[in-house]
Amino acid sequence: MQVDLVCRICDAAVSGRSSREERSRSSLPTLTAFNNPNCSHSPADIKAHNFGQTATMEDYDVPSAASILASVKEQEARFERLTRALEDERRNVSLQLERGSLPSDMLAGRTTGMSNQPLAWQQMVMQEQSPSNQTSLAMMQEPQEVVEETVTIEEDPGTPTSHVSVVTSDDGTTRRTETKDHLTNMKVTKMVKTVTTRTVRQVPLGPDGLPLPEGSSPLGSYTDSIDRRYMKNGDRFIMPQATSTLTRSYNNYADSYSDTPDTQFRHYALHDGYGDVTENYGSLSRGVNYRPYRPYMAAGGYRPENSYTLPIRKEDYGHVAQPQVPMGSSTVDLNRSQPERFQPEPYGLEDDRRSLGQDEEEPFDLEPDYSTANRRTLPGRTIREPLRNGPRVRGYEDPIEAELIDERHPYIHGMYPAPLAQPERGSLASLDHMGGRRSPSIDSIRKDPRWRDPDLPEVIAMLGHPIDPVKSNAAAYLQHLCYENDKIKKDVRQLKGIPVLVGLLDHPKSEVHRKACGALRNISFGKDHDNKVAIKNCDGIPALIRLMRKTNDMEVRELITGTLWNLSSYEPLKMVIINHGLQTMTNEVVIPHSGWEHEPNEDSKPRDAEWTTVFKNTSGCLRNVSSDGAEARRRLRECEGLVDALLHALQSAVGKKDMDNKSVENCVCIMRNLSYHVHKEVPGAEKFQDPSALQGPDSSGTQRKKKDDAGCFGGKKAKEEWFNQGRKNGEHDKNYDTLDLPKRTEPTKGFELLYQPEVVRLYLSLLTESQNYNTLEAAAGALQNLSAGQWTWSNYIRATVRKEKGLPILVELLRSDSDKVVRAVAIALRNLSIDRRNKDLIGSYAMRDLVSNLPSGQQRPAKNLEEDTVVAILNTIHEIITDSSENARSLMTAQAIDKLVAINRTSQSARETKAASHVLQTVWSYKELRNALTKDGWNKTHFQPIATGTPKGSKSCKPGYDDTTLPLMEKNQGSRGCGSGDMIPMDEFGPDGYSTINQRDSNSKYKSSDGSSDLQEREPFKNDTNRKHYIRSNRPTVSLVDACDVKPQPVDSWV
Amino acid sequence: MSYIPGQPVSVVVQRIEIQKLRDGDNLILGFSIGGGIDQDSNQNPFSEDKTDKGIYVTRVSKGGPAEVAGLRIGDKIMQVNGWDMTMVTHDQARKKLTKKNEDVVRLLVTRRSLEDVVRQSMMQQPTH
Repeated sequence: MQVDLVCRICDAAVSGRSSREERSRSSLPTLTAFNNPNCSHSPADIKAHNFGQTATMEDYDVPSAASILASVKEQEARFERLTRALEDERRNVSLQLERGSLPSDMLAGRTTGMSNQPLAWQQMVMQEQSPSNQTSLAMMQEPQEVVEETVTIEEDPGTPTSHVSVVTSDDGTTRRTETKDHLTNMKVTKMVKTVTTRTVRQVPLGPDGLPLPEGSSPLGSYTDSIDRRYMKNGDRFIMPQATSTLTRSYNNYADSYSDTPDTQFRHYALHDGYGDVTENYGSLSRGVNYRPYRPYMAAGGYRPENSYTLPIRKEDYGHVAQPQVPMGSSTVDLNRSQPERFQPEPYGLEDDRRSLGQDEEEPFDLEPDYSTANRRTLPGRTIREPLRNGPRVRGYEDPIEAELIDERHPYIHGMYPAPLAQPERGSLASLDHMGGRRSPSIDSIRKDPRWRDPDLPEVIAMLGHPIDPVKSNAAAYLQHLCYENDKIKKDVRQLKGIPVLVGLLDHPKSEVHRKACGALRNISFGKDHDNKVAIKNCDGIPALIRLMRKTNDMEVRELITGTLWNLSSYEPLKMVIINHGLQTMTNEVVIPHSGWEHEPNEDSKPRDAEWTTVFKNTSGCLRNVSSDGAEARRRLRECEGLVDALLHALQSAVGKKDMDNKSVENCVCIMRNLSYHVHKEVPGAEKFQDPSALQGPDSSGTQRKKKDDAGCFGGKKAKEEWFNQGRKNGEHDKNYDTLDLPKRTEPTKGFELLYQPEVVRLYLSLLTESQNYNTLEAAAGALQNLSAGQWTWSNYIRATVRKEKGLPILVELLRSDSDKVVRAVAIALRNLSIDRRNKDLIGSYAMRDLVSNLPSGQQRPAKNLEEDTVVAILNTIHEIITDSSENARSLMTAQAIDKLVAINRTSQSARETKAASHVLQTVWSYKELRNALTKDGWNKTHFQPIATGTPKGSKSCKPGYDDTTLPLMEKNQGSRGCGSGDMIPMDEFGPDGYSTINQRDSNSKYKSSDGSSDLQEREPFKNDTNRKHYIRSNRPTVSLVDACDVKPQPVDSWV
Repeated sequence: MSYIPGQPVSVVVQRIEIQKLRDGDNLILGFSIGGGIDQDSNQNPFSEDKTDKGIYVTRVSKGGPAEVAGLRIGDKIMQVNGWDMTMVTHDQARKKLTKKNEDVVRLLVTRRSLEDVVRQSMMQQPTH
């Protein structure tokens, strides 16, 4: 009868979202993308690359500390040489630049590989580029990091919205968004790169008196970079072009590369991802992204950005980070890429990874740097991999490096984060210290062109390395690589990396299982369900749950729950997650974080919920799994403490007026889903079937079920019964007001809480206060679900909504800008109008708002609501006027007939047409109204579906018209309009519809992801908030005064 | 008077300049407005087209500055000091009208009688 559909909607919404988490830390990957373009340039790189490889191999065997020391020294010596060479080069370059400040030439030269130039020069170029990446870190970081943060963290206030939005879309939608992000990053990077290059040169100069450190030099470097850009692009602002050029060159490079024997390389070069990136590069979006950053660069202040970034990071990672720090720091030192020559020691590669891993996971202060570093690495890997990145690795074991690191740390913290600081070599580190901040150039210098990053198979092999830090670094590196890179994720899967990662989840060392979990989270994110299935197939879900039970580390728990959230977005995995993890998630996360206590201590104040990331992730996961059908709902309802804890959390949110966050949204959505079909699915529901409603109450329950399943035909009968019941309800109505809730002997708990009239107030509070559209939709949906059905509880709920003055609240939401909210509210009103008194009230007070949402003729109202919403509104109107000529009359006075006839005749949507014609038929069925109708110029043909012209007939023949509806139409004609009308909605929303709705929802999510969507936790959220604010503020406060009265008074202001 | 949002509109407008009356700290125009894109336009008794969400003059106080300036009940306000009033919220309109730092508001209003007058005069002229 009524529409229970709500659940599905929730589900859909839910599923979309889960994925977003991945990026949280993954920002690094983005960085990689840009590097690639840079890398492409010089052929020299390739050579270096090869060289690096061999070196690496050799190094591998040499583990001893002595050898490391030796290598460090050697590196330092090399560094010195390099510095000298750099200076020379710099001079050369500057000369050249001066000669021809011709950007295009320069660029071309670079990209192509400057064959005419001396080798050294080439190397320099390469280095510069690489450094630039690093440099970019500093500069770029701000934006990029911001982006990342945004994605992951809801809290970041400062992040640029555009970025955020992009990210969000990613979650929901997928790659597209991601690509954009990449692009953005790339752009930024590019910018940075240019700058960096300059900087690099300057850096050597530094000795001249420039304290390289960004502080002073940045301006100079900045200008230089600008010039370059000009040269390249010819247009400063048109970065995209420049980018595109670079990219292209990159591609070429890749191609050439692939020709080379090195398969691994080819791998990278061929990556689809890159290609995409390139394409994106050109796109406008980049440009857009780019611009915002610009100001930063111009400011020359890395600092501002850094400072900006840092706080955010801290928020995110703050707690977690610490554990890693020690390791990280050591790693960092090691990572410090020693420049060049240093051959990577055996661990060298690993170290790199570590650094990467750190970037991603590491905390806070360092992160900016890290991220940069990561970027570099990534790019290097993909494109040029070998060359630049490699070197830093070795530090790992070096005590010296560790010391350096320590020194740096304070430094870093205080200042803005040195972009690459960690990875750098000791010698470099020293430079940095001098400088105060690390200049990007330094970083670049450090990079040894000959070094390379490990390729994917190597990384995966390293996951099984006997030395734990190697494992953890490898995993961290994988996480980095996988960030927003579907291709890599797929490769990892195909290289059988996933089972190894899952195996590492049980590793006793926290560093190892944490990094493995981070990698899995990124791998599990995205549209590619194969990755999720692969995790499940190697028992990854129980392994994650085991780890959750075992660890107390918040960061690890965030990663676990994030991974689970991602996994839960794939239908077939939902039940697996429920089977393995439901109770654990409830006990370990939901209950403790909700503040609910089994046996509240009388003395202590009830605790408030804490909106932690872990709670958000877990509730998101449960939200997704709660949409997996009746069995899933049953499991969740019966999960001990879950409903109690969720309700407690929501109540605490209402109490604190803090209900716009994602966790609240998730909780409400779970509640809505669990409320779906309570009247049929809850144990003992039969006992509560409303005896007044049916002659044979017992049979009705079962019958109805069958009918619902049967579809429209069965539904119809149910409708009629329902209709009768409605009448009876009307008679009984008086009782309700005084009444009459069942006495309770013991406190309700568990799933019974779902449908106690007390929840009405909770939902109404949310509807009044929340500005999050998803929350509003879910709360309205919960009321919709609860007011459906004809058991005792739904009677109470319907009466309670009225008594709690919920009707005006709902009616006001009919004016919401959000399609989904309007739809959910309309359906809720429909169900509520089963109660006779509600029907009268809704008929007299909501009709105008309902009608104003309908399209009028060709012209859609400003809101331009979706078909589903229009159909829902029409069905609601139908319900309201059914059996109430009074309401039909107010429908007429609301000037709805015009609109209805217009829809009936001209709507492109068969469903709208059908729903409108049902309403019209019902209206015509009131003989007492016909006079008035005729006076207004209407006649019977306007109200008869078939009588309308051929176009209409053709419409009904449309393929889109489902068979089930046809019979309904006929029945409508023959039978009472009311009964048939009811049927229709069933059809639309019936149990079968459920799944459909879900799909639609998820689709729409993906679609909508661009704008705002559920997926992105924070994004949509933010947008919603803003919009809502806007709406609310627009509403004159005066009118709100009257809001208790359903009918909003027109506002009238004296001026 | 109905129009499609975003499309140019041609209407007959009258320019009305109202000198605000100072009453202590308050500046008074002496009329009230209704409507706005956030309001239920169906309840606007003055609009011809019930979907018109424009700002309408709902009351004019006797002897107040607005009446003196010639504003009438039912006038639709098109502009205030050059600001468009056809696509604004009620509150935005109110704020534009009640700026503390402006002693004068210049309105562009339209009313049915204006249109009628123009139409008649246009029809008459040819006959002449």
